[in-house]
Amino acid sequence: MHKFIAIVGTNSDQSTNRKLLQFMQKHFADQAAIELVEIKDLPMFNKPENKQVPAAATAIAEKIDQADGVIISTPEYDHSAPAVLMNALEWLSFHIHPFVDKPVMIIGASYGSLGTSRAQAHLRQILDSPELRARIMPSSEFLLGHSLQAFDEDGNLIDAQKLAKLTGLFTDFQTFVDITAELNHANEANRQEVQNVNWDKL
Amino acid sequence: MKLVGIAGSVADKSYNRLLLKFIATHFSDTVDVEILDIQDVPMFNQSDDQTNSDAVQYLSHKIQQADGVIIATPEHNHTITAALKSVIEWLSFSIHPLSGKPVMIVGASYYDQGSSRAQLNLRQILESPGVDAVVMPGNEFLLGEVKDAFDDQHNLKDPRTVGFLKETLEKFVKFVKVINTMNGPVEDDSWKSEDLEAHGKVETTIEGVDMHAADWVEQAAAKTHAAEGDDTVKLDRGVLTVNQLNYFLNSMPMELTYADANNQFIYYNHNADAKDMMAARTPAQAGNPMADCHPKRAIPHVQQVIHMLRTGKTDLFKLPVPGNGPEKYIMHYYQAMHDAKGEYKGINEFVLDILPIVKYYLAHTGQVLAKDPNAKADAISGASAKSADAKPDSVSGASADAEPEQPDEVSAASADPEPVKPEVDSVSGASSNDN
Repeated sequence: MHKFIAIVGTNSDQSTNRKLLQFMQKHFADQAAIELVEIKDLPMFNKPENKQVPAAATAIAEKIDQADGVIISTPEYDHSAPAVLMNALEWLSFHIHPFVDKPVMIIGASYGSLGTSRAQAHLRQILDSPELRARIMPSSEFLLGHSLQAFDEDGNLIDAQKLAKLTGLFTDFQTFVDITAELNHANEANRQEVQNVNWDKL
Repeated sequence: MKLVGIAGSVADKSYNRLLLKFIATHFSDTVDVEILDIQDVPMFNQSDDQTNSDAVQYLSHKIQQADGVIIATPEHNHTITAALKSVIEWLSFSIHPLSGKPVMIVGASYYDQGSSRAQLNLRQILESPGVDAVVMPGNEFLLGEVKDAFDDQHNLKDPRTVGFLKETLEKFVKFVKVINTMNGPVEDDSWKSEDLEAHGKVETTIEGVDMHAADWVEQAAAKTHAAEGDDTVKLDRGVLTVNQLNYFLNSMPMELTYADANNQFIYYNHNADAKDMMAARTPAQAGNPMADCHPKRAIPHVQQVIHMLRTGKTDLFKLPVPGNGPEKYIMHYYQAMHDAKGEYKGINEFVLDILPIVKYYLAHTGQVLAKDPNAKADAISGASAKSADAKPDSVSGASADAEPEQPDEVSAASADPEPVKPEVDSVSGASSNDN
C-alpha cells in the first residue's frame, strides 16, 4: 500500500483544503495510507547565513523522504499560492531536498467558483524549479469550487461527479507513482544537480 | 515625488535592499525614495488577523501616503519570497493600501536570470483584484550576477545598467503622474476605514460572544441579563413591556433592521420567514458583522453608504430595488441614528413596498399615474436593473462614486443568497479565496 504525505497548504484554523485532505485520508484508507502534515509552525524563511534548517522543516522532510508521494492542497490568495505554503517550500529546498523526483499531486479548494486554478498553476511552477525538482503529475487538476458547500456534516464530498473525478485522479496518481519509480535513470544526476544548486550562488 | 521602496527579502544580507538603497541615493534629485522594512511582518494567517499590528499599519500608512511604490524582489523557487507574499496578503486582506497605487518592479539575483520569473509572478499577484495595484507595463529591470554588480561603495558598476535604470525610473515618474491623475483629484477614500467585520467596539458592544454564532441573540441576552417578556422598559416617551415592544415593532408595515455604530447587525423585526421577506434575514444572522451579510463585491458600496451616514453627508440613503415585477416597488431606506448629542449610533434600515401607498393615494384622490415625457428613467416600474444604475436623485450629497452598482448589494444585512459569480473569486483579496 502506498504511503503519502498530504500537506495542508494553509495555516488557517478553518480550512476546506484541510477538510478535503481529511476526506481523502478517510475515503481512500483501503488504497493508501495518507498522513496530513501542517506547515503553520515553520518560521518565516530568511535564508539564514548559518544554513540552519529548523527542526520543524527537517521533520517534514523526513516524512516526505519516507513517503511514496506527496499531495498538496492549496488555497488561492491573490491569484497565487499562500505565503505560508511558499514558505514551507522554501525551507524544504534549503540545503535539504526531499522533493527531488518525488511524485506530487496538486489539488485545491476555494469558496468561490474557480477552485484555486491560478494557485495550482503557480504551485506547479514552484515545484518545477531547480531547487525542488518534484515530479508533478501532469495534465491533471482537481479544482474544488464553492468548497464551503462541498462537504456534508460527516466531512464527505457531496457532489458525486466531483468525487468520481477525485477518485480517478487519485487512482491515476497511484499509477503515476509507480511509473515515476521506473523513470529512475536520471535520479542520481538530479540529486547531484540539486546539491549543486547552492542558495549562495542562485 | 514621494516613493516608497520595499525589498522582498528578510535575509540579513539582501542585494535587493542594496539595489533599492542605490536607487534612493543615486536618483535622489529625481525622486524621494523611503525604504520600508518588512522584517517584523508576521506570516499571514487569516484566522489570526494582525492587520492592526504596528508592522502592517506602518507599511499601510507609508504606502497610502506615497505617490508610488518600487518593489525589489529576489527569486526563490521560481517565484517571489514567502516573506514578500505574506506582506502582500496582509495588504489585501482587510485593508487595501496598494489599490490603484502605481508600482514598479525591479529585481536582482545571484545567477543570470535576474529574478525574471519572480517578477512575472509578482506582476500577476499585484494585479489580482484584492491587491489591485497598477503595475508599470514593460520596462523590466533584471539585475543578474548581482554579486559582481556593486562596487565597494555600493554603487552599480556598469554605467549602461545605471543608464537603463535611470531611463526606467524616469518612465515610472511619468507613469505615477498619469496613474494618479487617472485616479482622480485626491480622492476621498476615508470610507475604506469602515470595518464591516466589526472588529472594533462601541460602548454597547456585547463582548465575549461570537458574532457569528447562530444563537448570538440567546448568548448575548444571557450575558447581559437582558430584559424580556413582561419586564418593563422606559422609553422616550412611554413605558412598555418587552412583549409590548415586540408587538409594536413586529406589526410595523415594513422590515426593520438595526445595525449599530460598530457595523454589527444586532436586530431585525422578526415577523416573517426569510422567504417571505422583501430583504431576507434569518434568525441566525442577528449579531453578525455586516461583512457576513453581503457578497464580497458589494462590500465597498456598503462601506461608502455607511460612511456617508456616519459622517453626516446624508442622513437618509434611499434605494429602489428593482426586479420585483410591476406590482411592487420595494424601497430600502438607510436612516442614520443619533443620540441626543448628535453622535452617530448606527443605521435604521427599513424596507417597504411603496406601491400600495401610491395606489391608495391615487384611488382615493381620483388620479392616475401618467408618464413624465421628460423623465430619463422609467419612474414607475423601476423593474429593470438598468434603472438602478441610473443616478438616484434621491441621494443627497452622495458622490457618483458612492452609488451602488446593484441595488441589492447595499441592503444591510440582507440574506439574499447571492449567487457566487466567477468574478467573486477575482474580487476577493487574500480574504475570500478560502483556505
